[in-house]
Amino acid sequence: MELTEALQHKQKDIHALWLDRTLNSYVSPGFFKKAKDPFANPVGVNISKALESIFSLLVARAEQSEFSQPLDQIIRIRAVQDFTPAQAVAPLLELKWVIKEIFKKNDKTRDLLSQLDNFDCEIDRVALAGFDIYTECREQLHRCRIRELKSGSHLITDGGCPSRLLDKETALADNKQSDK
Amino acid sequence: MAVVKVDKLARSVAEGPSLMTGAFPTKDWMEVPAVFKPGNYAYPTKPEKLEYLNSQQGVSFPNAREWNPEDEDWKLPDNWKDIIIQGLAERLDKFRSLKIFMDCCVRCGACADKCHFFLGTGDPKNMPVLRAELLRSVYRENFTLAGKILGKLAGGREMTVGVLKEWFMYAYQCTECRRCSVFCPYGIDTAEITMMLRELLHLLGIGINWAMEPVANSNRTGNHMGLTPQAFKGNVDFLCEDIENLTGVTVNPTFNRKGAEVLFITPSADVFAEPGIFTCMGYLLLFEAIGLDYTWSTYASEGGNFGLFTSNEMMKKLNAKMYAEAERLGVKWILGGECGHMWRVVHQYMDTMNGPADFMDIPKSPITGTVFENAATSKMVHISEFTADLIKHGKVKFDKSRNAHVKATFHDSCNPARAMGLLDEPRYILDHVVDGWVEMPENTIREKTFCCGSGTALNTDEIMEIRMRSGLPRANAVKYVHDKHDVNTLGCVCAIDRATLTTLVDYWVPGVQVAGLSELVGNALVIEGEQRQELDEGLRTLV
Repeated sequence: MELTEALQHKQKDIHALWLDRTLNSYVSPGFFKKAKDPFANPVGVNISKALESIFSLLVARAEQSEFSQPLDQIIRIRAVQDFTPAQAVAPLLELKWVIKEIFKKNDKTRDLLSQLDNFDCEIDRVALAGFDIYTECREQLHRCRIRELKSGSHLITDGGCPSRLLDKETALADNKQSDK
Repeated sequence: MAVVKVDKLARSVAEGPSLMTGAFPTKDWMEVPAVFKPGNYAYPTKPEKLEYLNSQQGVSFPNAREWNPEDEDWKLPDNWKDIIIQGLAERLDKFRSLKIFMDCCVRCGACADKCHFFLGTGDPKNMPVLRAELLRSVYRENFTLAGKILGKLAGGREMTVGVLKEWFMYAYQCTECRRCSVFCPYGIDTAEITMMLRELLHLLGIGINWAMEPVANSNRTGNHMGLTPQAFKGNVDFLCEDIENLTGVTVNPTFNRKGAEVLFITPSADVFAEPGIFTCMGYLLLFEAIGLDYTWSTYASEGGNFGLFTSNEMMKKLNAKMYAEAERLGVKWILGGECGHMWRVVHQYMDTMNGPADFMDIPKSPITGTVFENAATSKMVHISEFTADLIKHGKVKFDKSRNAHVKATFHDSCNPARAMGLLDEPRYILDHVVDGWVEMPENTIREKTFCCGSGTALNTDEIMEIRMRSGLPRANAVKYVHDKHDVNTLGCVCAIDRATLTTLVDYWVPGVQVAGLSELVGNALVIEGEQRQELDEGLRTLV
């Protein structure tokens, strides 16, 4: 059995284990694993679809640019959840371990374990692209924060009373007060 | 009274080596402490704000101090535990609903997967049943016979500093949106449990500034922003100038005018911040088009009532100012703008707190003659009800092509949808002002609508990640209609929505803008004598 053929053959098992382990990174993942409605379970279903796409693209030796959409689908979610940067992208690298686990279980595929080096490199490449997306998401998040601050809504809490600030005399008095 | 199911809900088992270190749970949910770190809590109330509020009549906000959630020592008063247990006892006695909600939950789990915070985090304590359990366990330990005797075996738990910290964390990871309540077979209003948790925390001076400073401002100047009457009027005048530039229509609203037929109250964000100001321009144009005899108030200059997220006394006091002003001005009824939680307060609490408002008439549209019997006691009509009635009677004329730039969907804002049943009027309006619009999936709209993730004063930037993850279920449905139908506008009827959904879709679904329904009404409205320019983006067009 050739490697690509084996990966295609085991696609379902690999996806199941990969998804299971990825969702295990959540504190209470039962619902994320179970519910199939994409609107009732956006985390579980989006991650499942993303992993499925990423694996298919890897097997098909797709162009790097094609990975952007599915990588964004999973990483955008994990970039705002309670993970360190490493934890957020870790599932991508875990695929290497997952494939080996599945291949180990079967005589026909066990022989292919030594041929996985190149495929592992492809996975690394995808993981690095995932980290780029993670960083983009975090930067976008900070831009969102800055835009809210600039929109003036922070005046509700951080700037005191806007009317008071607009009044030059009282603003001057406030400044003198704070200088003391 | 076993709680096996609760344990089961919160447990998972993982085996094998993992790169995702540290994420797997190893402890029972009750044993996992709340850990505060930058980004996972909203900043505490500034002491001077609390001191000011505590000095006001009718409300109590003791124990003002500098404290930091990340510190181990929260500088609690020595008798803090007595204060909490006594506070809980008083509330169980005062609010029959709380007593029932504490006793009647059978932990069926129907609510567990309905909360946007749980759906976005996978944190079991964000399941409404477990969030309520944080309070219920303390209730059992102290107020039920089984709990007093059997303690943990009966689901009881001693009130400790750790429990208190959990309360603070999870009472502020609930937006009181009440989606879970829709699915509860017993009708438990989990929002009221969060409200009680927040009240109890306030007894110890524990609260968040994003709630309390607007509350203090509202109490002092009448609105969240702390705008003085002059500044408030100045902002509305500024919008009137914009309207004249854009449409050639001169609008001359009045302020604090005694004898006006209608008092108009809307969130102050509508006169102050984008994109609310475009909604406000829509109101002003509509009232001009129909010749409504109305006045603004610079005292009741806020529809929002952050008292709802604070304490029942504070909510009552802030709500009362609207009615005091209506009485002072001698208006016949109140017309309310596109606000979310204002409508929950008016529809569900106002009558008990400050009603009935007998000094006003049952609202009757001076244009159509329709009597709004649904507002017979509150005397307050929603702008969408009012507008839909105008359309129904053919009293306004629209040119849908003026919204040609809009491909809309509609987000049911939680409180108008679930707390007052405002479901069809906004849709009826949309049918008449835009050429075509699409619904999001069935389990994300109407009564089952998903929250923006930033309600109940959680719309602050220091918890941006929390807002983004809790808003994911909403954004996910918006993304679906954006991808499938090229939707570029998310219509809504809530000021917090307008502000926070804008940020939410910016992160999850770039290319979608957020618009109040009245903005879309204002865009399409045909007014006699107008000289409207080519407005490619409606009232948002820069000219």
